[in-house]
Amino acid sequence: MTTLATTAREEVRNWVLLHAKDLSEASLTDTTPLLEARHITSLLVPDLLLLLESLRQEPIDLANLKAGDLRDLRTIYARFLPE
Amino acid sequence: MNSIVDVTALNALGLGWQESGQSVLSGKLLELEARVDQSFVALARAWNALEYRFPTFISAVELQKLDYFRSFPHLVSFPVSLDPEEANLEHFAREPLGPGGEVQLTKTRPVREVLTPAACYHIYIHEQSRSFDRPRYYTTRNTCFRREQYYEPLRRQWGFNMREIVCVGTLDEVKSFLTACSAQVDTLLSAVGLEVAWTAATDPFFQPSKNAKYIAQRVNPTKTEAIFGGDLAIASVNLHQDHFGHTFGLSRQGAPSFSGCVAFGIERWLHAVVAQHGLDANRWPSFPASFPKGARTASAPVALAGDA
Repeated sequence: MTTLATTAREEVRNWVLLHAKDLSEASLTDTTPLLEARHITSLLVPDLLLLLESLRQEPIDLANLKAGDLRDLRTIYARFLPE
Repeated sequence: MNSIVDVTALNALGLGWQESGQSVLSGKLLELEARVDQSFVALARAWNALEYRFPTFISAVELQKLDYFRSFPHLVSFPVSLDPEEANLEHFAREPLGPGGEVQLTKTRPVREVLTPAACYHIYIHEQSRSFDRPRYYTTRNTCFRREQYYEPLRRQWGFNMREIVCVGTLDEVKSFLTACSAQVDTLLSAVGLEVAWTAATDPFFQPSKNAKYIAQRVNPTKTEAIFGGDLAIASVNLHQDHFGHTFGLSRQGAPSFSGCVAFGIERWLHAVVAQHGLDANRWPSFPASFPKGARTASAPVALAGDA
């Protein structure tokens, strides 16, 4: 994985830690369910999508969003910030 | 599968269709409607749901707390009355209708109410600021109003009847209710021979790509619809998270309550029965008159006691 990709993924992880009410460095894993467990609320989803767009430097087509696309960090990385 | 039933055939069963988007029911269809809703009420009673009959109007101030007008301005209908000043009433009475039959409103009173768009809203408003020491179950039926781009008899109407069964509690309590009640709905559907596909769905938001709630529903579905005939949602299961709890001060165990509902579009069930079983009312199925208590597991046997 490139350094740029690592940095982008770290930024996403840091964003989650900043906004998740009850997650810590230790408790946030790549498979922690973010929306389902309500660590991230629905009102923050657009902000997360904007962050992902800026990190990948490509727009995200909302029409192509599918259930589970933001399920956890592993899914987000694979879907929006692939290696 | 095209499940649309010819309106002429429906006329013979007791449907009177009004182009404004409303149905008159009589005869066999009216009898079926009573049986269908009685079955839904029986399902609600399995959860010891408190039954309410709310008014037709709902406060605009209360709906605004939900940001309803930003999310659904295209759907909303308002009751309007004239300013009671005598000169205004005289002015209106001189020529109340225009050439196309449209009401020529003169000065009106301030509009403060909305024609109910969804039955369960009344419940959260009615119960606001309450704290619950256990999960609570409710049922209510209301005539709901939604302006749509087009109307079809029984399938899509301006005024239609919605029955809802609602749970207010912790997230686990609400999820348990939705899972178990969905299974009971599946049992009901099987008993009456209606095949559906449960499909994740979103609410019909205005300018959806600009609405955070729509985007959130796309990636984290909280709404599932029972689709009959490939295109007709006859029921839905909805997890509201703690949205209504936060908005209306409902609390459970010291935190905002979660809520969820199972909703039925009554006229759509009539259409589905006719589309599936035909125009001979003698061939229409019996609807269950009772269901096992909701506290049991979904795998418990169903007691079908015949026609409701």
